[in-house]
Amino acid sequence: MTTLGLGVERLEQALLGNASGLRVCPGLAGKGYSSAVAGQVPEPVFEQLRDRDATHADARAFLLANAALSEAVLSARGLEAVSPSRRALVLSTTKADMDALERLFRREPCSAAARRHIQPSLLAEDLAAAQGVAGPVQCVSAACISGLLALKQGALLIRRGRADAVFVAGVDLLSHFVLSGFTTLKSLDAEGCRPFDRDRGGLSLGEGAGALVLARRELAPPRAISVRGWGVSDDANHLTGPSRDGSGLALAISRALTSGGASAEEIDYLHAHGTGTSYNDAMESRALRTVFGGQVPPFGSSKGMLGHTLGAAGILETILCLIALRAQTLPGTPRLREPDPAVPASVVATPRPAERLRKLLKVNCGFGGTNAAVLLERNGE
Amino acid sequence: MSDKAILAASYLGPAGHGNDLTGIRPWGAPLSDALGRGELGELHWSLVFASDPGRFARMDYMSRLGLMAVELLEAGLDALPVRTRDRLGVCVETRAGSLSTDVRFLQTPRASLFAYTLPSTLIGEICIRYRLRGPVLCLMAPTRLGFASLDEACCWLDEGEADACLCLGCEAVEPETARAMDLETATSNWHACAALVGAPEGRPRERAMGSGTDSLLKTCLDLCGQRPTGVHPVGAELPTNAPGRDPLAKAALKATLPTANRD
Amino acid sequence: MQALIDELKSRIITTLGLERVQPADIQAEAPLFGGGLGLDSIDALELVAMLDQEYGIVIEERTVADQAFASVRALAEFVATHRPKCP
Repeated sequence: MTTLGLGVERLEQALLGNASGLRVCPGLAGKGYSSAVAGQVPEPVFEQLRDRDATHADARAFLLANAALSEAVLSARGLEAVSPSRRALVLSTTKADMDALERLFRREPCSAAARRHIQPSLLAEDLAAAQGVAGPVQCVSAACISGLLALKQGALLIRRGRADAVFVAGVDLLSHFVLSGFTTLKSLDAEGCRPFDRDRGGLSLGEGAGALVLARRELAPPRAISVRGWGVSDDANHLTGPSRDGSGLALAISRALTSGGASAEEIDYLHAHGTGTSYNDAMESRALRTVFGGQVPPFGSSKGMLGHTLGAAGILETILCLIALRAQTLPGTPRLREPDPAVPASVVATPRPAERLRKLLKVNCGFGGTNAAVLLERNGE
Repeated sequence: MSDKAILAASYLGPAGHGNDLTGIRPWGAPLSDALGRGELGELHWSLVFASDPGRFARMDYMSRLGLMAVELLEAGLDALPVRTRDRLGVCVETRAGSLSTDVRFLQTPRASLFAYTLPSTLIGEICIRYRLRGPVLCLMAPTRLGFASLDEACCWLDEGEADACLCLGCEAVEPETARAMDLETATSNWHACAALVGAPEGRPRERAMGSGTDSLLKTCLDLCGQRPTGVHPVGAELPTNAPGRDPLAKAALKATLPTANRD
Repeated sequence: MQALIDELKSRIITTLGLERVQPADIQAEAPLFGGGLGLDSIDALELVAMLDQEYGIVIEERTVADQAFASVRALAEFVATHRPKCP
């Protein structure tokens, strides 16, 4: 569920077409934000979701996440074999239903259902209940790396024997709160983000929800994509600016490679964080060179397509990686026009068929100097 | 499965502050009255730190509480070698998260506030202060018992992801913002409880040895602000591989709390 | 100019919440950033916001900010030059 609308097919179309869902949003103009360009979920999508679920009519975070989960569950084969108590749910979100908090703050009407979701753990509980999950429920909130951490936690629940199938979802809303917050940090690009571009001027925000189902290997279809390994680190440097030398991210990537038993040369593609801010993209470039030396694999960013979806980013971007792996296509970097010469030359601007796309790294970086990397691998053949 | 122990534990709350060595000491008056009312601004870094741990005044209460709880551990984190610091994880759990700072930001949007509108910012402050680069995680917990992070730490040690872990349970909702938002007052209690989990050999000699899982869990409960009645020496090994959700919480509830007091 | 320098020192201390720093502790010629005050990029943003609120000066470009914040004296000169004249 993103600015592109409902459903994974939209994401697939956008990936293959290198499309951008970023738009000038009329509702954002004149509010004092430094950009009105964002990846907003179209209102008709919300209407559609509301029609299906009147109880949660104003609980936007729930509506999006639940819809994403339902779609994922529908396409997960073999799930019937897993009893509810062996199903778990892990939610990733930075601000949960911030819209509800804002309405409370402004003394505007807010349903009890939405109000609950001001507390992220209750949003997770309600989603678990709606999806018939009776096993462990976890809620991760660790800035922009939440999504990948949720993926890791889901995989660990299976590895630790506490669940056989885990629903992993990420959601965040395009709220006044985050728009105004990133405005105070002066990190928004008024024209819309251009990751790794020479003329990049900041990030764009997006909202949405994504979900996927992790399962024990024996239950998963043979061609399923594996979560092979992960790495998490902290820069220990500054709160909102990444470590200048990218060493924290490099550390997370090497941890992911080690835990997944892969070497740098085996990585066929890296899906970057690539927000489009001057600092982030420069830092990531340095981190890539540190890890890969002169052989940086093809890489790119999808934030020009969906915007920075915060807590949903790790999940939505992983879904894009899954699409790429299935289609054996290297994703492009929507809205990238002219790569910054300081960025490694292997940045992929437009999608192209891959000679080999088997092992893929997904990385994200967040406030607090946090970094996460996940190694995905396509099985079979 | 490796042996694991709580090497040090600390607590700050309305009732007082301390660690496993000192026990919980009540705040002196008039500080105790102010803190009892939730006036977190009264907590000055000098209560715990020898020098300003880096722009304390700019931090939100959650970060301040968390840093103070970690410093209170007196675990010699400053002196650890790099190799150890790279393998030291940080796991935070919180129920209310940055709620108070969120409300303050809605009231007055400022860059310095926005940076603190994430429960995980506390992790960043800890990593910066003690130069830790290990794995990190922030869990939004449904209850205030504080065991999800202990459970996670045990798993990290078993899985080789870290050699030791700082676990932190932190609640820093100000009564003022809770009232302004008409939120349940249960969230307006504040506390921070830290535990350093690691291999038993890692425990400094002067830390007292204890025994018995019940005693340890009771300590954790005490330290999480349920009933600050005193601190037992920590030293028992933590149960491993317990099934289900909040495994230690379940065990703790069975062992120590009457039904009425459960959160 | 001296009055403005003193005023700016106070405003910097208040805006950034610099504990235990007195105006006398800040040297007018010393670099504001990268110096002993330990200021970072968030502080820079706060100072930009302060200039807007207190002096009606809006800074859009990073390079302009870098020059203005080179020192308190530089800031005073910047403010004196750019503040809107009262009608």
